[in-house]
Amino acid sequence: MKNRLKMLRAERNWTQDDLGKRVGVSRQAINALETEKHDPSLDLAYRLSIEFGLPVERIFENPHGRSSET
Amino acid sequence: MTTVTHSTTTPARKYHIRTALFMSGYVAVNLAAILDAFDDMKSPATWVFSLVVAAPVVGQIWALLAWMRDSDEFVRGLAAKRFIAAAGLAMAIASAWGFMELYADAPHISAAMIYPLFWAAFGIVSPFIHTTR
Repeated sequence: MKNRLKMLRAERNWTQDDLGKRVGVSRQAINALETEKHDPSLDLAYRLSIEFGLPVERIFENPHGRSSET
Repeated sequence: MTTVTHSTTTPARKYHIRTALFMSGYVAVNLAAILDAFDDMKSPATWVFSLVVAAPVVGQIWALLAWMRDSDEFVRGLAAKRFIAAAGLAMAIASAWGFMELYADAPHISAAMIYPLFWAAFGIVSPFIHTTR
């Protein structure tokens, strides 16, 4: 799933490990999200949403089309 | 649901420790059997002994499933895909060999070999499965 995680993380000077610890997953999981090898669960997407202070669809591109949030 | 592990020991480290313990027992008891330590054993003790030999295998499978349970969703998803693919490959090979024994006089191989076969299959499929999608 396309996303802005890497850019958002870089803006905050967080490493993959930092972000992983903040949302309770491994560095490998963050890397897999950034490289589109893993689609997040709804639970993880909401954790990331809270961590970045952004709606989920400002972080992850809706693969099914446009939404009112974008 | 995302799992947050509060223990200081990571799921991977727990898995490695548990695997080392179970496999040590497995190797020790099989080595003793190869060295004829149990040759004088009679039934029903042989049945019990066989289950004792199998117990570390059950333990190691538990360790693997516990690692998957305690890991985050990416590690769990990746391991589950690899586990399923490896189990399928191992079952396919074991079934094919079984029929070759039945119909083509292939040499008999113990059913106990399914476990090392599963891990060999796990090693074969893992490089090809690197996403959870």
